[in-house]
Amino acid sequence: MQQFVTVTLNGLTLAALYFVVASGFTLIFGLMRVVNMAHGSLYLLGGYIALEIQTRWFTSDSGLGLSLSGKSDAEYSVFAWLIPLVLATLIIGVIGVVLQQVFLRWNQGQDLRQALITIALSVILADQMLAYFGGISKDIAAPSAWPTSITLPGEVRFGFFRGVVVLSAAVLIGLGLYLIIKRTRFGKIVRAGVDDREMVSALGINVNRVFIGMFFLGALLAGIGGVLGGTMISLAPGQDTAFLLNSLIVVIIGGMGSLGGAAIGALALGLVDAYADVYLVFGDLDLTNYSIIVTFALLVGVLAFRPLGLYGRPA
Amino acid sequence: MNPTVSTRRIAWPALIAVVALAAIAPLLVSDFFLSAILTKALWLGIAAASLIFLAAYGGMVSLAQVGIYGIAGMAYANLVLADGGAAAAVNPYLALVAALLIATLVGLGFGWIAARSEGIYFLMITLAFSVLVYYFFSQVTGLSGFGGINSVDLPGIVGSPEQDPLPRYLVTLVVAVLVFLGLGVLSRTAFGLGMQGVRDEPARMRALGFDVTLHRTLAFGIAAFVAGIAGVLSVFYNTRITPGSINLAQTIDVLIVAVIGGLYRLEGAWLGALTYALIDNYSREWVPEVGNVLGPARFNTLIGVLFLIIVLASPGGLIGIAEQLSRKVKTPRRAPAPMPAPQTVD
Amino acid sequence: MFRRSHVALVAALAAGAVAGCGSESGSGSASGDGAKKAATDGGGGEPIKIGFLSDCEGAFGSFFEPTASGANLALIKYAGAKPAGEKPTDGVTGATIAGKPVEIVGYGCADDTADKAIEETRRLMEQEDADILIGPLSGDEGIAVANYAKEHPDKTFVNGIAGAQDSTLKVGAPNFFRFHPDGAQWSAGLGDYAYNKLGWKKAAIIGDDYSFPYTSLAGFVAEFCAIGGQIPKRVWAPLGEEDYSSYISQIPKDVDGLYVGIGGSGLISFIKQYEEQRGRVDTERMLGNVFWDDPLVLKEVGKSLVGGVTSAMTAADSDSPDVAAYIQGLKDNYGDEIAGAGPSVFTYGYYTGMTALIKGLEAAGGDVADQSKLQAELAKVTLSGEEAPWGDVKLDSNRQAISNVFLKKIVEDTTGDGVPDVQTFARVNDVDQTFNGAFSADTPAPDRENPKCEAGEAPPWVGQSEDVSFGE
Repeated sequence: MQQFVTVTLNGLTLAALYFVVASGFTLIFGLMRVVNMAHGSLYLLGGYIALEIQTRWFTSDSGLGLSLSGKSDAEYSVFAWLIPLVLATLIIGVIGVVLQQVFLRWNQGQDLRQALITIALSVILADQMLAYFGGISKDIAAPSAWPTSITLPGEVRFGFFRGVVVLSAAVLIGLGLYLIIKRTRFGKIVRAGVDDREMVSALGINVNRVFIGMFFLGALLAGIGGVLGGTMISLAPGQDTAFLLNSLIVVIIGGMGSLGGAAIGALALGLVDAYADVYLVFGDLDLTNYSIIVTFALLVGVLAFRPLGLYGRPA
Repeated sequence: MNPTVSTRRIAWPALIAVVALAAIAPLLVSDFFLSAILTKALWLGIAAASLIFLAAYGGMVSLAQVGIYGIAGMAYANLVLADGGAAAAVNPYLALVAALLIATLVGLGFGWIAARSEGIYFLMITLAFSVLVYYFFSQVTGLSGFGGINSVDLPGIVGSPEQDPLPRYLVTLVVAVLVFLGLGVLSRTAFGLGMQGVRDEPARMRALGFDVTLHRTLAFGIAAFVAGIAGVLSVFYNTRITPGSINLAQTIDVLIVAVIGGLYRLEGAWLGALTYALIDNYSREWVPEVGNVLGPARFNTLIGVLFLIIVLASPGGLIGIAEQLSRKVKTPRRAPAPMPAPQTVD
Repeated sequence: MFRRSHVALVAALAAGAVAGCGSESGSGSASGDGAKKAATDGGGGEPIKIGFLSDCEGAFGSFFEPTASGANLALIKYAGAKPAGEKPTDGVTGATIAGKPVEIVGYGCADDTADKAIEETRRLMEQEDADILIGPLSGDEGIAVANYAKEHPDKTFVNGIAGAQDSTLKVGAPNFFRFHPDGAQWSAGLGDYAYNKLGWKKAAIIGDDYSFPYTSLAGFVAEFCAIGGQIPKRVWAPLGEEDYSSYISQIPKDVDGLYVGIGGSGLISFIKQYEEQRGRVDTERMLGNVFWDDPLVLKEVGKSLVGGVTSAMTAADSDSPDVAAYIQGLKDNYGDEIAGAGPSVFTYGYYTGMTALIKGLEAAGGDVADQSKLQAELAKVTLSGEEAPWGDVKLDSNRQAISNVFLKKIVEDTTGDGVPDVQTFARVNDVDQTFNGAFSADTPAPDRENPKCEAGEAPPWVGQSEDVSFGE
């Protein structure tokens, strides 16, 4: 039972992180039909920028910096985490807008070409991040005042940052996005745009401004994800493609463009991952080492019956 | 989609000249160049050709080709005598046939699932296939595991490439030429024309009583067979295969090769592969060090920028650029020829 | 029109062919430049070209400079080299062996995958034309390079610090040499200690899912089970995993202890996440493999590891003057930070490897044109004194080191630098690769399930470990 609760919490926290990242991916797609294959790069870059701000402003380093996680023993205040978080996510939002305006605005509608362009950008970004931040995994320090873990009823221990911060951040972000989409003028335009883009522009709405807003929001979510993930797990080359893939799987399962679908997809991916890691044991047959294949079986299974995902609608 | 793709005939004189040059290349270049550049470009070109075949004639940009060539390579490496894997010690020629068969069958299965989606969905689903194959072989230690399979036994016709790379090069060359000719001929058969019909007018083809999904699935199977050939040749080339040889980076690399060469022309595959291999091996020597941004170690930045430029400026790839230039030379006074129509998928 | 494009293709191919010829002569002159960069003074003739291969990315990327410092130190001490810069990977100048100049053609950077290691090996050996390779760092890389060595009998390969058992026991490349114990040998004595001193009857093991942890844990399993212990659960996390939480929740609680075979940056994540889930790292019920007392690990999470027991071929608290001289050498050339990583097996493995290579080359008169002589000499090389300050090394018939291993406990800081220290309490002598026949070319290679946990004949060192105590 204790183990079951821990494993479930593991799955939920992973799902929370996947949701934050994938929601940005799916929103951009829903409105603009752009598959941003550089979304994972924005995730990793967001984390690295936060780490850079944290180490530059809040610690002092020297020497070759031989270290396994790039973290020193320093004390970190809450601001030493929050300020990098806010700045990094804003910067990533702006980078997202620049990316959209420079590379994607003029070829709107050619979705395959846009996917290829963002793949090219992700290749370049990955290499440049490797050059600048190195190939060693690093993590962002959580505020020292926060506890390492909390104890739940039934003697279940769980990481504080993981269990409390990431989970509540995901819930807040989910609520916030829901309100933005359902209650604001921006959200109304977006919803209308998802249904019929031509009609929206025919109504005299500046579609470009809406697109800018959406790319800012989508990239920003990748940035927040990067900071949360960089604190909860770590930052390393390869995490960009890992989170791009996670986002892809989440939205393929949930249906491209659907926020609710992203939530369901993230939950499915996170929980299936976590349970398969532990419970894939049948008597003497221990298949836990093959758990990731179950994730893909889930994906292929969904696709075979609903090619557009659980909540997907034809374009 | 560029409608002129299908009507081209094979330019025999040019092909013969290229093949003749390739055949005498061993006399002109070092063993290292023969292996690391030419042999690699030939098999990588076959992998890219399977992608281009699907994209140009079927309108399907598939990222599953590396997954499928991984299956063929892994199947071969497991069947023959090797260090790691199942090491079933089957005769290499038999293993080769079995590997191609397995890859084609798996490809048909993948194709059956993927053929029902189009455009960008197709791209993502096939990407998921490739990653699935990677994780499968990473996790199933009985067949590979992270360390992969080393010292794979090769068929006699390839000789022992570490001592003499020439037989392997010639084998790869012959196979590449056969693949090029085979796909070219296939595109002009009723099946190939049907593929192009399905690509351009799926609804109309359906109305004509065409089984569109079946047609796309079969096309995918054929491409899988070609990708499988590339997979087996890649094992000949490396004498080993690991999950790392078929990871996401390799998937993207094959896409890059195809796009750089030209996504709408089969011969673009080998041009792209040759360009890729040359940059890969020689960029260290001539790329200047510019801070952290550029330098001998920044191959991926270089290839990424080239890829980006091609996608932005010339969707027809290097072949497309060459064509535009030749058009300009021919008709200097007239307005420049229209770019290949940008591809849209609705 | 399309013919034009074919002409362009021909032209491109022809240009490629020309570039090939050009670059061949080009690489000739490039190596000339390289020789200028490295060493031209102090000897005539063709230089001896050595390729260096380690990891600068991935879980072990932090060990890039330490491993280079080990190899360089050997060249500095025994071949008259001088550091070319502050960083070890800046290279060395002026090295000569048997009167011939020595050139390091490149510091190859891999990422703990076999593919990257082979790619870098090919670049160093085929494009940069190295005669000898020293490296690599990590398990699967080692197996791949040993296989590569088998296909290139005319070149010589000295392992860096890759610890997979197979690379010497199974691959059997006659030109591949390892002058340090493998991963299983490093675990020698731990099974004995756990069963007989700690009274463990049942232990779980957790490790990363690739050949080095397989080997490392195999050493423990073979010994622990041979004398009666049981292993009810083995947990494996994919290589490169940074999120160990779900693997930690698989560790059973009804066992006497846990043997941890997680390395590099993964160990840092593991320790943090273990603390999150279990409140603290219960080191009194844990044994760790070679990584636990690595200086870099101690610096970052050492406080959580105090009380844990581990084993390997080095002991940071050794009071031997040879060890002091080795550390001082690193300090004089590369400063405190590098010297701090001196007791790391990573630095030390490359140091002993390069030292042995220099001795072999001296004995072979620096002849790298026909390397059979060098290989014959290398097989005979033994290391002692300052050449191998933590214990004499000799090779077995598989060209694999036989040496001693220390058992150590991690203790609270005693030196005042705020970092926990190591206290050595036993030494296991003459540890060989086969564990008294438990491992041979015919036994299955260590993997997720192998070796099986079976009672049997104990390795000769069980009950024979010698109590040691430094600095008291």
